[in-house]
Amino acid sequence: MTLSAAFLRELEAIVGVKGLVTSPEGRLTYEADMHTFYKGAPDAVALPETPEQVLQIVRLCRRERVPVVPRGSGTGIIGGAMAPQGGVMVSMTRMNRILELDFDNRCATVQPGLINLWLSQATREHGYYFAPDPSSQMVSSIGGNVSTNAGGPHCLKYGITVNHVLGLELVTGAGELVWIGGKAAERPGYDLLGLAVGGEGTLGLVTAIMVRLLHVPEGVKTLLASFSSIEDASETVSAIVAAGIIPAALELIDEFFVRAIEEGVGAGYPKGAGAVLLIELDGPREEIEAQAARIVPICRDHAALEIRVAADEAERALLWRGRKEAAGVVGRMTSNWLLQDAVVPRSRLPEIMRRMQAISRRHGLRIANVFHAGDGNLHPMILYDDRVAGELERAKQANEELLQACIALGGSVTGEHGVGLDKMENMPLQFGPADLEFMTRVRRLFDPDSIMNPGKLLPSHPACGEALRPGPPAIPPGPPAIPKGAWV
Amino acid sequence: MRAMAVSSPALDRALGDIVGREHLLSDAAALEVHAVDGVRPRWVARPSAVEQISRALALASAEGLAVAPRGSGSSLSLGNAPGRLDLVLDLGRMQRIIEYVPEDMVGTAEAGLSLGALGAQLAARGQMLALDPIGGASRSVGGVLACHASGPLRVRYGTGRDLLLGVRFVQADGTVTWGGSRVVKSVSGYDVPKLLVGSLGTLGVIAEATVRLHPLPPARGSWVVSTPSHAIAADCLAALLASTLEPDRLAVLNAEASKLVGVDGARAALLVSFGSVAEAVASQGAALERLAKEHRAGAAPVAAESWAQLAPALSGPVKLKLACEPRRLLHWLAELEREAAGGRLTVSAVGQGGHGVLEASLTGPLTARGLATRVLAPLRHELGREGGSLVVERAPVELKAELEPWGPISPELFAIHGRVKQAFDPTRVLNPGRFAGRL
Repeated sequence: MTLSAAFLRELEAIVGVKGLVTSPEGRLTYEADMHTFYKGAPDAVALPETPEQVLQIVRLCRRERVPVVPRGSGTGIIGGAMAPQGGVMVSMTRMNRILELDFDNRCATVQPGLINLWLSQATREHGYYFAPDPSSQMVSSIGGNVSTNAGGPHCLKYGITVNHVLGLELVTGAGELVWIGGKAAERPGYDLLGLAVGGEGTLGLVTAIMVRLLHVPEGVKTLLASFSSIEDASETVSAIVAAGIIPAALELIDEFFVRAIEEGVGAGYPKGAGAVLLIELDGPREEIEAQAARIVPICRDHAALEIRVAADEAERALLWRGRKEAAGVVGRMTSNWLLQDAVVPRSRLPEIMRRMQAISRRHGLRIANVFHAGDGNLHPMILYDDRVAGELERAKQANEELLQACIALGGSVTGEHGVGLDKMENMPLQFGPADLEFMTRVRRLFDPDSIMNPGKLLPSHPACGEALRPGPPAIPPGPPAIPKGAWV
Repeated sequence: MRAMAVSSPALDRALGDIVGREHLLSDAAALEVHAVDGVRPRWVARPSAVEQISRALALASAEGLAVAPRGSGSSLSLGNAPGRLDLVLDLGRMQRIIEYVPEDMVGTAEAGLSLGALGAQLAARGQMLALDPIGGASRSVGGVLACHASGPLRVRYGTGRDLLLGVRFVQADGTVTWGGSRVVKSVSGYDVPKLLVGSLGTLGVIAEATVRLHPLPPARGSWVVSTPSHAIAADCLAALLASTLEPDRLAVLNAEASKLVGVDGARAALLVSFGSVAEAVASQGAALERLAKEHRAGAAPVAAESWAQLAPALSGPVKLKLACEPRRLLHWLAELEREAAGGRLTVSAVGQGGHGVLEASLTGPLTARGLATRVLAPLRHELGREGGSLVVERAPVELKAELEPWGPISPELFAIHGRVKQAFDPTRVLNPGRFAGRL
């Protein structure tokens, strides 16, 4: 779409000349998030500094029926922060301040562009931290975390982003600026906050976020257990949860990733292991000691090769660094990969692993795994080489089969990455027409003119009134779907 | 409102066909029992399956009937008196556990099942649904979710909005709809379950709830911290919350409520339990005793039954729920007690210490004017400054007619609320008028 000179003048009047990017090379930076299959540069990028500017941008775009696409750090992996229909991208990078730290009420208020980790860094010396910890937390923004309802390893015990958001300032697609929620935990009325978190920019733009801070636990204990096979590791995960222990985090890393991580960053994982479990316990010291004492024999009963407890904070940090850099090192091992984020009930982990291996064999493609095993949130990566004719097609087919297997076991299409463009057409696997129609009506309440991040989240459907361009963007062969340096 | 297309006897037959003749009640006694704030329905239908709810609502929608869903009936006085009421949908027959996989710590139950009955089944497998509204064991799962009721376990596990993973509900026009997932982690699409939690049946009738479960802690111990003043109680609470102690249940009790757990003469008390391995329970209890001593308060172990003994604490004729900044909870308790004392009312209060939520029941010479001018107006005015609220959750019918049970809601938010109701119940079939803003 082409924006008129008059429109651009109005936009510049709102955000100033320094807050507007219109050059082709400048806009190209914004054409994709970390899911580089999907490309679509916005026609203009606005970088507002205040909620009022965001409000004016949305009102202007609404008047002219121009798409509005929000963007935080651009580290998402669902094609959420790119502009398939063009329009105005609103980058929140200049709105990155901490507005308030309120330890008496154990909460903080921040602007959406604030980097996730910065908040915990600012609060830790006071004994508090922000619990959601996506692997991207050193670069992803809290606004983006809210938009996708991001997870992370420690969500197993502490819940995902929505469980930690107390309030939001939101510019709705209808051009309203409202605060929903706040320090008081309840108020009369509907839970609009629960809708807005995870809205992926389709309901409005978040301009401030009030989050809960948690007290740093008394103790932390990190264990590493290695196994000869991924089946043994999966059975161990199910057994730990079935024993009534919910660790703070319970991550599974397969043979492929153990090797890739050791060759890449060297985290001290046992070379040659078929799978590694990273188990973290936190809480009162006696509690974590007792839980560790129960977990060790569970691991042994499931043929663990080695069980090690991180001796100090340095070793613990190293074990976690390996996990968090997993996606970063995968580029050393393969040229291309597709990534899933599906979830299965935790008792079905061993079964989905078996099915995954069958799918892998059937298509002659390796599927590598590093994931949040404790809550059944898989991150299988289907490895392929786009220089080999037909591999991409086979990878896509394997991807579909895997997703369907997860849903057949009672799972979900996405556990923490979000829907965006990537899983939009998979939504009918999990939801029927009436369920999707309900969500479409939710969307229209906040975005009556279909301008907010259009063509994402809900499958295109004639009855939905989506103003889609014909078809979703074609997946071009060539570059890897998700590049080196993405976080999962 | 749409004109009646079908005569009353014909509707009677149609409803009877849907739920079964014997499960459609229209005798005066039954209608009186099922009245909502004194408004008697024309029928009470007792569906046994989601399909029956669907057919009943489709009929109600087509015929312009007003419908009130009912769980255990314990909280029907929440909200405004209904503007209209034709049909009460009593979900009391829907008590099945549809699916329970202990290894997944996820269960799906029909909405009419009581928390107590569900809890007993889960406890047999060492698990629980971490929802414990005070005196709420007989309340239904669906009702507790629709009312967003919670209790002392909130401090560790949150509320229904944190625990409801998936929901099967029936929209006003009878459309059976599913929201959410059956796994503990899912972000596929909007979080529809959260929209249903606390919506008081005004957007849909919850038929089945898929909930996240937790392991019962291997050991538990309870302590009561008795304090001679609200200020010292506030200091103890703040110190507890700023410590590394991890209570699994926490309740702030005023003088009246603390008598129920055997504390006499305290101005306020904290009832605290730790749930963990035995060693951690003991060491945290000891730490709590030290913390209390440092703040010139006394802490002593109490029996596990203390929590159940709180059940009558909120059973007075008037029940309030106040929400405030968490750090101001004891301040608001003192304010409430002061205003009530001026009207010679007795307050029994239980607070969610970690969350700034205070539930209180009032007894004594209650008048609508006294409540409105002495309690609601001044407290709401001040609470509004910190984003707080004060809801009258229960009051005698004759008083309620003169009260605003929900209190104010900002015009900007009300505009969105109006659009929500309009989108999902345009002909106002579900609980018309009962919700905030008389939606």
